[in-house]
Formats: sequence, C-alpha cells, structure tokens
Amino acid sequence: MNPRSERQSFLGPRSDEVLSALRIGIIGLGGGGSHIAQQLAHVGLRELVLFDPDRIEESNLNRLVGGTLADVRAKESKVVIARRTILGIRPEAEVIPVGTAWQENAEVIRDCDFLFGCVDSFSGRDELERAARRYLIPYIDIGIDVHRTGGDHFITGQVALSMPGEVCLRCMNVLRDDLLAEEAEQYGAAGARPQVVWSNGVLAATAVGMMMQVATPWQKSSRPPCLLEYDGNSHEIRVSSSAGFLKEKRCPHFVSIDDLGDPWFGERTNPNRH
Amino acid sequence: MKSHFKITRKLIDHVRTDVRRPHAFAGERVGFILCRFGVTSRPDLLVLAHSYHAVADEDYIDDMQYGAVINSAAFRKAMQLAYTNAVGLFHVHLHEHSGKPSPSGIDVRETSAFVPDFFHVRPRLPHGALVLSADSISGRIWVPEDRKPSTIDRFTVVGTPLSKIDGKR
Repeated sequence: MNPRSERQSFLGPRSDEVLSALRIGIIGLGGGGSHIAQQLAHVGLRELVLFDPDRIEESNLNRLVGGTLADVRAKESKVVIARRTILGIRPEAEVIPVGTAWQENAEVIRDCDFLFGCVDSFSGRDELERAARRYLIPYIDIGIDVHRTGGDHFITGQVALSMPGEVCLRCMNVLRDDLLAEEAEQYGAAGARPQVVWSNGVLAATAVGMMMQVATPWQKSSRPPCLLEYDGNSHEIRVSSSAGFLKEKRCPHFVSIDDLGDPWFGERTNPNRH
Repeated sequence: MKSHFKITRKLIDHVRTDVRRPHAFAGERVGFILCRFGVTSRPDLLVLAHSYHAVADEDYIDDMQYGAVINSAAFRKAMQLAYTNAVGLFHVHLHEHSGKPSPSGIDVRETSAFVPDFFHVRPRLPHGALVLSADSISGRIWVPEDRKPSTIDRFTVVGTPLSKIDGKR
C-alpha cells in the first residue's frame, strides 16, 4: 500500500486501486466544489473533471479553498485554481479543467463514475440530475442556504445522493415544481446567496464521505442514506427523517426508457420506413 | 471504440434473482436485458441497461442436453420489445460461481447463431450476450457496423458498492 494511504488502510487492501480507477466530475468550483476537489486529491482520486465557467472575485475569498489574492488580481479561472490545488497534493493526477458551463461540454460528463453538483439554483440541480440519470452516473448534490427569520439568521443545507435505480432529488423533495417555478419568477433578481466556509466544508466533507462509502465498501453492511440534513445553527448534520421511507420507495420520475442514453443514437422510428 | 456496459445494482440483483428461480424442467433460466446507448468523449460506446425481460415458463423447451433451450416465441417476444421500444437486446444467463464468468463453448456457438438475428428488428443498434456469475459479469457485443462479436471492455455496476469490472481480464 502506498505510504500515503496507511492511515486509511481500513478502506480495504484494494482501495488505492479502486479510487485511482474512478473518474469524478465536480460541477461548480466555488465554496463547496473547491473543498471537494481538495479532499478527493487527498483521499486518492486521480482522474478529475472540473466544470466552472467563472473566474475568482474578491468576494469569493471568504470560502474558496486554494484561492489567493494574487488569483483575484489575475482574474484566475476557478477550475485552474482547483487544478493547481489538486496537483499540489497529487502531481500524478489527471485533471481536466473545463472552463465553460458543463452543458457546453456535456459529453465529458458521460465518462464520469460520480458527479458532485455544487450549483446554486434548483434548475441547475434539475438539469444536472437528468444528465446523470441519462448515463447512469451517481450524483451527489450539496446545497446550503442562509436565511433570516424573525430577526435571526439560520444556516440550513443538505447532502443528497441520487443513485440511478433509486430515489431522485424530486422523491427527496430537494427539487419541487413550486421551487423551480418560484426561482424562474425571480430570475435575475435573486442576487448572490450568502455562503460561509465552515458550512461549505461540513457539507463538502460529508459528500466526499458519502462517495467513499459507495466506492470503497468499508461498511459492508450498509449503504449511505440518500439524504442528510444540516443545521448550521446547532452544528448538526443528521439523516433525514424521510430517509427510511425513501429507502423502500420506487422512484416514479426516471422510469421511462427515453430518459436513458443519447436521444439521437441509432433509430427511434420504425426501421422498415427508412 | 471501446464498449462500456452499465447496469444498476438493483437491476442486476433482480436479474440474478429471476434466473435462479427453479423451472419445472429447464436446468436454468435465461432472459433479455433491454438497453439504450450513448457515446462519451473518450470516445467509448456506453451500453445502458434499462430493464429485464424474463423468458416465460411456457417458452422453454424440454431438452435434457442443455441447461436451457427456448423456443421461437421467446425470441419473438424479445424482438418485439426491441422493435417497439427501440432498444438493443442483450441475452443473459447465470453461471453459479464467484469470480469472472466465461461463456461455455455452447454459449459462444449459440449466441453467435442467434444474436445477429436481432439486427432484423433493430439494425442500427448494438446487441449482445452476457454471462453473470454470483458477483461478476462478462459479455460480447455485436455492433451494427460489422455485426461481428467482440468482448465488452468494461462493466460498471452502479449502486452501493459501485463495482468497475474489466471485461477482458
């Protein structure tokens, strides 16, 4: 075993091999995604695809892991910063930085074994999950929100595992039509969502832990819960009360065969008519 | 182009459970996995398993020479599904042991004879044949370009645990 992995040898004798064979995609390299990228490099991932069209701004420095003032001055791309962080830890890693919206290079996603979604919007989550399901890719979504109620601020969030063949974000109520509609109505007026580094770190680390439980079955008798809820005021993260029910639920949202594969592959009509 | 077969753990578990059911006279059961396809940036051909079609009890032929012999109705029903749903058909059966399964000589001979017939209903989609074991999988794929069999390069069982299996080792 690689000396680097000695302290995580409980993951199994083949864990280095298993992890280095995985290709992971991270969509969004801001407060959440930059943490995830760093942790995946530490834990032993070697193939990473990074998607983010944005460049770092001064307002990102409160939470973007690896970002520096020099990067802000140079208006550095967030995927380049993440790549530098990863290669600083694991120089042999193959990192593919995609400095565009993922939709512009969607075929790159199809090679991934896992996707981490660190996007702000519900519509972004919706699109990403649909793409992940189309190519049978497990998708882990993290989300955080800071909101004000009755004069107090509350930090809430979630980590959700959308595993093909099992429940999806709609089953978990992470995505709902009313949320998507409300977001669509507020388009252009929502502004930047508040974010803090410690909460991003908790959710990102939990998401990485969830992936590790799926990829290296060090807990032989269990699979990770599909939904974890975060209370940033009490500093608690707990399994959602609906997780037990969701474990047995059949997803009604991704059952059509037309939800799978390239829509244009081969033929979709009566072949005898060609 | 390399081929990469992906199936959810839920579906592969269901297939194993189904083909392990005893039959009145057949020594084993077989079925068909219905697949859609995609192309990746590598580029690899993705074979994406959607669902499983079990061969009906009455469509087995009583033949002591082989584990399972199915009749023309079994093929006709599977090919109708391919025609109606625009899917590739992957014949599947189980070798009851652990580790990488290899097709027997009879498996190779028989699948080489009937898989190309699937092109009659879906000439532009790949088709194939799979062998499951208790914990692994192997298979061959026929693509429309040459309609000749080749070994499926990689398999991923998507679930917990997520398993990546080299199809050629």
